[in-house]
Amino acid sequence: MTDTSQSRIDAEGMTADTAFRVRMRRLFGVLQGLASNPATVIGLVIIGLMLAMAIFAPWISEPNSPDPYQMPRDWGAVRKPPGTPGHLLGTTNEGGDVLYGVIWGSRTSLQLSLMVVGSTMIFGTIIGSIAGLVGGWVDEVLMRIVDVFLSIPELIFALAIAAMLGPSFGNIIFALAVVLWVKYARIMRAQVLQIKQHDFVDAARVIGDSKLNIYLRDILPNAVTPVTVQATLDMGNVVLIGATLSFIGLAEAGIAEWGVLVSEGQAGIASGRWWASTFPGLMIFLWALSFNLVGDGLRDALDPRTEGR
Amino acid sequence: MRAAAEPQADDLILSIREVKKHYPIREGALQRVVGHVRAVDGVSFDIRRGETVGLVGESGCGKTTLGRVIAALADPTEGGVHYNMDGMMSRIDRLEGKAARAFRRNCQMVFQDSFASLNPRHLVIDLVGRPLKVYNEATSANLIERVVELLEQVGLGRQHLYRYPHQFSGGQRQRISIARALALNPEVIVLDEPTSALDVSVQAQILNLLNDLQKERNLAYLFVTHDLSVVRHMADRLVVMYLGKVAEAGETQAIFDSPHHPYTRELMAAKPDLEADANVEVRGLEGNVPDPARPPRGCRFHTRCELATPACGWEVDDVVRWLEDAPGMFEHLVGVERQTDFAARLAFDSEEAAGLLSMAVRSEQVPEAMRAAMRRLNLDGDKVEIEFEDVGEIGLTARDDGRMAACVLSPEEVASWKRT
Ligand SMILES: Nc1ncnc2c1ncn2[C@@H]1O[C@H](COP(=O)(O)OP(=O)(O)OP(=O)(O)O)[C@@H](O)[C@H]1O
Ligand code: SF4
Ligand SMILES: [Mg+2]
Repeated sequence: MTDTSQSRIDAEGMTADTAFRVRMRRLFGVLQGLASNPATVIGLVIIGLMLAMAIFAPWISEPNSPDPYQMPRDWGAVRKPPGTPGHLLGTTNEGGDVLYGVIWGSRTSLQLSLMVVGSTMIFGTIIGSIAGLVGGWVDEVLMRIVDVFLSIPELIFALAIAAMLGPSFGNIIFALAVVLWVKYARIMRAQVLQIKQHDFVDAARVIGDSKLNIYLRDILPNAVTPVTVQATLDMGNVVLIGATLSFIGLAEAGIAEWGVLVSEGQAGIASGRWWASTFPGLMIFLWALSFNLVGDGLRDALDPRTEGR
Repeated sequence: MRAAAEPQADDLILSIREVKKHYPIREGALQRVVGHVRAVDGVSFDIRRGETVGLVGESGCGKTTLGRVIAALADPTEGGVHYNMDGMMSRIDRLEGKAARAFRRNCQMVFQDSFASLNPRHLVIDLVGRPLKVYNEATSANLIERVVELLEQVGLGRQHLYRYPHQFSGGQRQRISIARALALNPEVIVLDEPTSALDVSVQAQILNLLNDLQKERNLAYLFVTHDLSVVRHMADRLVVMYLGKVAEAGETQAIFDSPHHPYTRELMAAKPDLEADANVEVRGLEGNVPDPARPPRGCRFHTRCELATPACGWEVDDVVRWLEDAPGMFEHLVGVERQTDFAARLAFDSEEAAGLLSMAVRSEQVPEAMRAAMRRLNLDGDKVEIEFEDVGEIGLTARDDGRMAACVLSPEEVASWKRT
């Protein structure tokens, strides 16, 4: 009696532990692949710094107004150049601290990208999976819709929606989500169609496993790579498009958002006050660049032809 | 484990009856169906407990399609596969609930490509343990021991539990597939070219393993292959397929001793060259396999058969095909007005060309049997009317020793033929 229960514990301990270790080793292999690409490492470092900035914003740059996403106004220190004590990166026309805008802008950008990428990835994956799995007229209808969406340039489409809904940062998020899910639907459908041809799916059917299990255990795990890569690229692109929309005035004035800051600072460029636009602009550039670098690196590291071989 | 050779009222497991599988061919923007690939076109045979049925034929003759229909991975277009469930034969596509599960468990499959048939993201324990989990055959406590037991039966072991498929050789991967197929203790396993992707020495090991497992467990195999030498020592009975139909069926030894169908004879002559690259086959068979969407009339093999007689189903297509190969003829053909598959008017661009053809098909340039089969040949200006005997399908007929062959010739006539 004692004997059996003892061996049972051992057996379970071994499964969980060994299988876990093997899977970790595989993950480690992917990470090694990422680390071997200098461009990816640079991207990861920049992302790490910017994420830290976004997460720790309340501590790095303490807000002094009830809404921390609003630029604080210091009317006693307008148009100060970088290096001014208390205003390391200078101030805007309205006395907003550029450093505060840069730091809290990263938090705004992170929220924007997580919300847009998260919702579009989930929705697009579901729609694409249904199209690929069900096929027939369902697939036909869904893909027609996707084609219509894809035929309109992203920026213009998002601009139209956001403009229709009125200027607010929330509307920009919504507009981007409406526009961008189709990419994931397209990718996922192609993946499902391709993976479902594989013999291992037939092997699972021969065993008699359920359709849901086959989707969750065979199809989905083998389809995540391109979705992950796309999501990483979108983390960067979304901020770029979002900033473009807020630059042309589709977000509320005065919020700590890079696009808004660039827009509000541009009036001063002609008079030599470059800093109010340049620093937030640089952040947009770094954000988009770093996620694109990592996205490209991921594509190589997760390449099924090289992965785990 | 099932007791070996239990006395059973009926040892029939599967009965394949007149199975057809046609795939629609779609064309154009509207995806209209313009025809059907007749991948399997009316095949019947039985599989009994503990035996190996070899399903052989050239590439594209429909073996995999038939195997998939039998394993219920594809529904037949017509006919059906019947499963013996407690003495009752029921069509597998009409089974429900418990009966469907019973069939599913008892009919397993091993695929040709061992890499493609194992999910690259699953560990061996997941792969081999999966069927046990699906049917709640193992608790999480004894899953490992059950999987180890199965691995040991196929010559692997505990040390392989936590590895990915890509960490194994092709032969080892095929062993994993076999372990997975054995997990539910099935009655029959469809083996679709299980060794044709392997080196010759590894091939022999896997074949031996399959033989041992069969003896131990009284398994039935449907062994699908294009390589007769592989089934020679594996199969008790053979089903030789050509273009979706059975050309010949019977006991393996009897067929090897005296093939009753010219196609089988040719297949046996076409031994893979062991000296050369294993992938290169030296064929005794000449000519191309016809399009399975438009199989030849009469005997499907008549376009390639060296023994063909006037009664083998010569048709208009044979003349057109001959024209295609004849130098300087085909470009003069401007149209084929077909009345039936056996009668047509061929239009040429000049009276001269038409005359040339009508001369040619009367001469030794065309096969003698084709000439003899022609009922009418009329030269009418720049047109040539041809008509052949309307021959029905040449189906399988029983021979005296319980064998079946689909050929108009007697076994003696096939046997006495010498290649010139
Ligand atoms: N899903 C499909 N759709 C359309 N045609 C198909 C499909 N599957 C098979 N076919 C066609 O059916 C015919 C038979 O194919 P099948 O794969 O069954 O042949 P096979 O005897 O297994 O050949 P091989 O030795 O090459 O594996 C071929 O002409 C093939 O092109
Ligand atoms: S019926 Fe027999 S002889 Fe005639 S073509 Fe077919 S195989 Fe050859
Ligand atoms: Mg095949």
